[in-house]
Amino acid sequence: MRKLLAILVCKLGRAVGRLVGKGSSLPGKYALKICPDILRRVQLPAHVIAVTGSNGKTSTVEMIAAILRSGGKTVVYNEEGSNQIEGVTTTVLTHATLGGRVKADVLLIESDERYAARSFQYFHPTEFVITNLYRDQLTRNGHPEWVYDAILPAIHPDTKLILNADDPLSSCFAQDHENVKWFGLNPCSITGDKPTGVYHDGAYCPLCHAPMEYDYVHYNHIGAYRCTKCGHAKPATDYTVTAADLDQGRLTIDGAVTIQLAFRSIYNVYNILAAYAACREVGIAADTAAGVINNYILKNGRMQKFTLGAHKGVLLTSKHENSIAYDTNLRYIAASKEPCTVLVIVDAVSRKYFTSETSWLWDIDFDLLNVPQVGRVILAGQYCNDLALRFSFTGIPREKLLVQPDIAAAAETLKAEGGEQVYVVTCFSDRDKLLAHVVKEA
Amino acid sequence: MELKIIHFYPDLMSLYGSYANVAVLKRYLEELGNTVTVETVVPGEAADLSGADFLFMGAGTERAQKAALADFVRYGEAVKAAAENGTAALFAGTAMELLGKTITAADGTVYESIGLGSFTSVQGRQRFVEDVYGATDLYSEAVVGFMNKCSSIEGVETPLLTTLDMGFGNSGEKTPEGFRFQNVLASELTGPILVKNPRLLEHVVRAIYARRSQTPPAELPRWAYAEEAYTITEEQLRLRWQKAQG
Repeated sequence: MRKLLAILVCKLGRAVGRLVGKGSSLPGKYALKICPDILRRVQLPAHVIAVTGSNGKTSTVEMIAAILRSGGKTVVYNEEGSNQIEGVTTTVLTHATLGGRVKADVLLIESDERYAARSFQYFHPTEFVITNLYRDQLTRNGHPEWVYDAILPAIHPDTKLILNADDPLSSCFAQDHENVKWFGLNPCSITGDKPTGVYHDGAYCPLCHAPMEYDYVHYNHIGAYRCTKCGHAKPATDYTVTAADLDQGRLTIDGAVTIQLAFRSIYNVYNILAAYAACREVGIAADTAAGVINNYILKNGRMQKFTLGAHKGVLLTSKHENSIAYDTNLRYIAASKEPCTVLVIVDAVSRKYFTSETSWLWDIDFDLLNVPQVGRVILAGQYCNDLALRFSFTGIPREKLLVQPDIAAAAETLKAEGGEQVYVVTCFSDRDKLLAHVVKEA
Repeated sequence: MELKIIHFYPDLMSLYGSYANVAVLKRYLEELGNTVTVETVVPGEAADLSGADFLFMGAGTERAQKAALADFVRYGEAVKAAAENGTAALFAGTAMELLGKTITAADGTVYESIGLGSFTSVQGRQRFVEDVYGATDLYSEAVVGFMNKCSSIEGVETPLLTTLDMGFGNSGEKTPEGFRFQNVLASELTGPILVKNPRLLEHVVRAIYARRSQTPPAELPRWAYAEEAYTITEEQLRLRWQKAQG
């Protein structure tokens, strides 16, 4: 009875919520109050795919859904990104019959990395994709090992783990776990021979703390690591990018499937590979998967093109408090050939909570912008002084830097003169403050 | 002067931009006309602390902290002797716990620290992450920072932050935070505490000069961006605190 009531309340709450434009976690919250173990009492589809990790969750989930649907499967997923237990409950119950059967072939869940254990105490994923684990939102998450310890109890022995072979930390989830499939990249156009960045989270083995060595590195500390003592090393991969050329925007999976990239970022390569691996594991044909992800343009695209005066611009959404996300976008800019101006905005550290915490700026490798084609760097927003101090510890010549607290004024300065390419690096919390002053491209 | 900074375990204890403390101190001392060398200590390799003007260790994960401690204990006597001798030092984040008597991990295992201070640290499964606004006896301006730890620390008699208006201190909300012994400073406040607090950086510089029986310029240089960044963060945190007061 409580089960039926919970489902009814959730469905009703969701319908009302949609009308008034409210978020999707509240109906689930009420349902959980009525019936705390409702997620155990529902009848889930044969496949429950979960995706968690520091970066790439939303994009990976979106691509998995698109591939599965193209393969003829019906998919239910928490599209609005409510990825804690309340949001997961809303998603499940909204798509359930009154008897509690979820009407789909696959339930697909983007799961918040710190709360996965809460969601999965009542049911467990059949396939669990963990994209990566690194420094991210320390004001919520503590540090990557803390997040690792939080995810660990969410992993059921029966779950098939789909893990990133190139990440020395999240690959540790395979310890004492039987059922693991690995995805990773062979050396490709962007591969270097040693870790990059201002800190080195791959210096020591996450298992035994002996020094680690690298055969090659794709970015930061992600690549072919090898502990000098305990044997922790990049494993052989089941799904492999066997060739990738980011300049050409092309990658090959398992030596056979060639895919064009709509967005030439290393993140996109990993997200595509993770989505491909997950879908193949639930029985989707390689051709079907390739057909969907070829030139796939993400709906939740983190890239926004615009014009500002005579400038063409690209806004690269980079999570504040996430140095690797920043580094990836800075690397993308540094790979461009045309003269450009870069605008970095830090105005509100988070849109969800208050903090004045800016130490993450020191973890970002802003020296990546110390290249000839970056002619000017404008630092804007409330924390522009913190940025300026950080930039004073890069090799970027002082005369290239312009500090402008006011975002509108920074946009005005750009608009008034010049026609070079503009890149904007900022977070969800601040992007609209700039986009309000430009003409967005569809 | 020719000054020597010792940076313990820069790759192991490197969370939250810890290295920036060394970077700003080095540049500041150089701007005052000194020559500064930074020597790094790597686990398992021999290091010579003699003649050091400043010792630094940054924040690490709880597991990295234990790995650092396993190596650091062999420097215990040297660090204590340097501290008695007035050497300036900063142990930031979880590195602070290495100066106490013991660290109890979340699984109950007890680790012996070097015992410069008589305090004990007990780590738990809950994490305290929040902005901090407090005061120190060292100067009149407020101290700003961010707390990110899972430890409760008991037995500190000489804290670095004597009062907290906002945030989690050594043993609870608004309790005193950190540890001080002569010129050794320790704080669980994460990240570049010397970057965020220009007065604290000046205090360290004066301490380094004092041990060399030198006097820095009466008017120490002030970096415009650092001052402005501090002013804004201090204001933001004060407003936040006032709002919480109602």
